[in-house]
Amino acid sequence: MNPLKVIDDTIVQEVSIKAPANRIFGVLTDPAELMRWWASEGKFRTTHVELDLRPGGKWRMDVEGGCGPDRTSSRVYGEYREINPPHRLSFTWNRDGEDSPETLVCWELEEQGHATLVRVTHSGLSSDALLKRNSGWPLIQSLLLAYIEQPAG
Amino acid sequence: MWKPSGYIIGNRMVTNKTRQHDAVFRAIADPTRREILTILRGGQETVGHIAENFRMSRPAISKHLRLLHSAGLVVTRKRGTASLCSLNAKPLRLVDDWIRDYETIWNESLQSLKKYIEEKQ
Repeated sequence: MNPLKVIDDTIVQEVSIKAPANRIFGVLTDPAELMRWWASEGKFRTTHVELDLRPGGKWRMDVEGGCGPDRTSSRVYGEYREINPPHRLSFTWNRDGEDSPETLVCWELEEQGHATLVRVTHSGLSSDALLKRNSGWPLIQSLLLAYIEQPAG
Repeated sequence: MWKPSGYIIGNRMVTNKTRQHDAVFRAIADPTRREILTILRGGQETVGHIAENFRMSRPAISKHLRLLHSAGLVVTRKRGTASLCSLNAKPLRLVDDWIRDYETIWNESLQSLKKYIEEKQ
């Protein structure tokens, strides 16, 4: 069984890209470019991107995929919080039709020689909103941990 | 009726587990129900004994137990005239799954971004 990642409500992932930070920031904030790399592989495609790139401005992305009974479309949307080119971009993140809390996504770009370290942080995945500002999360974690650690069978 | 089989985020389809997911999230969002889960950690209990821990009426506690039961978090068994409740933490995995889905999504999105930028120049 995998070790429990649920203990933390934040996902941090990094990748090094051989390009200047300016170029990467542009790709993250240009609707035409976003359409080409976000949901671009195989059976999925980005059908609509709308960005109002200023703090408090709204953004949304629509994606479509599948065929026949599996055909589906989804929307993610939110509001820009911080726009600091080419270092930092943060915005709220909501998934359409999902009865779960608003979360926060932050892109950070750090030039390192000929490459740029790109870090994405998605936080609030088990936020206060989820558990209605009660201190329920530690209990849920401990119940889950006890369940996962119990011997199989 | 047409029913979407999942969500697409980035290049990933996330299977639709929304209904059970919502039931579990709703069940654990309430402090009384979390208190009941805490009591049941110690082992199985009768409804009467659970209700003794609260100021609210027994029917009110039964209602909370029904909600926990429908989310799959509490299992009820009859013993004589009493109902014995026990904890089933398995559905809580859905909470964990939700976070795991996003881990995969961001991992793939970063790879997709890297590929797009590096192959284009």
